[in-house]
Amino acid sequence: MKELENQGKKQTTDSLSEIMNIDRLVHSPARLSILTYLSVVEEGDAVYLLNQTGLTWGNLSANITRLQEAGYIEVVKEFKDKKPHTLLKLTDRGRKAFHDYQNKMRGLLDVQTDRVNNMDNCDTSGARESC
Amino acid sequence: MDTSDQKNLERRVFTSFFQAGFIEAFTGIFLLQLGFPALFSRSGFGDWESALLTLPIALILLIVVFLVRKFVIIPRLGRVKFLPERRRKISKLIIVPILTLIAGAIVGYIFSENASLRHIFVGQIPFILVPIIVFGAAAYFLDMKRLYVYGAVVGLVFPLGKYLETVIVSRNTLPATILFTAFVFLGMATVFLVAFLRKYQEPRV
Repeated sequence: MKELENQGKKQTTDSLSEIMNIDRLVHSPARLSILTYLSVVEEGDAVYLLNQTGLTWGNLSANITRLQEAGYIEVVKEFKDKKPHTLLKLTDRGRKAFHDYQNKMRGLLDVQTDRVNNMDNCDTSGARESC
Repeated sequence: MDTSDQKNLERRVFTSFFQAGFIEAFTGIFLLQLGFPALFSRSGFGDWESALLTLPIALILLIVVFLVRKFVIIPRLGRVKFLPERRRKISKLIIVPILTLIAGAIVGYIFSENASLRHIFVGQIPFILVPIIVFGAAAYFLDMKRLYVYGAVVGLVFPLGKYLETVIVSRNTLPATILFTAFVFLGMATVFLVAFLRKYQEPRV
């Protein structure tokens, strides 16, 4: 039983260290949303992101700047029909960061789900000794 | 988010670009192109004259639809270049009507050579099969389930019109049925466009 408890503690510590290693730049809801919507297209403009993410112009612009500074997205400013047009594209680095984030989160959630399921099994079976 | 989630999201983003009634308008215009020549030819015009009279109407409507898309819809939705997989699907979709037309021409030629089969080909079968094939392909390649329904509706309009002609004995029953369906689609397109304009304002920077 002690062994199992130790194993559980180790799992929790591992999970926590994994949480600490999560890319905070991607983890923010607004930036995660931007990266998600850019990951399903080759490139899109600011209006596309504005509509899909539901962010305000100011919020979108600030988060785009942060992602651009990190090298996660590429921003091309051009003129289309004499109007300014901002085109955004996920860079290879950004795509990798996004996929890494997805995998880490999935791993963490899987571990947590397993733990909750194990605890539920212990509670329902009533065999406390085996847990 | 796993691969299937991302595929669903990509499909949702793609289909959101067709929420303003573009497909419905296109279907309505397609039906007008069938309905007006039938109406004109039954009003005493020749086949060529009927087709020529319909052409400007269809062209004007098509230009209006494309202008609305360019100047009203796209500025509100934004510009997107989809992933290569999606672009491949779209190019496959363009091939299907071309192949259908070629196959139709070949089958039509074979059938027209055979007197006993001629009445089948010049009858209702092409009007049923072509929309079902084209809309079915569009539904499959564009991942839009509602196009299966549109294909079935467009495919059934012609036989329905023919049937109603036997019930309501009038020479204009068939064109009226086709035109009624065309206006239903154009009405749907207008409703979708109005709903879209209410939902999306042109962004101001």
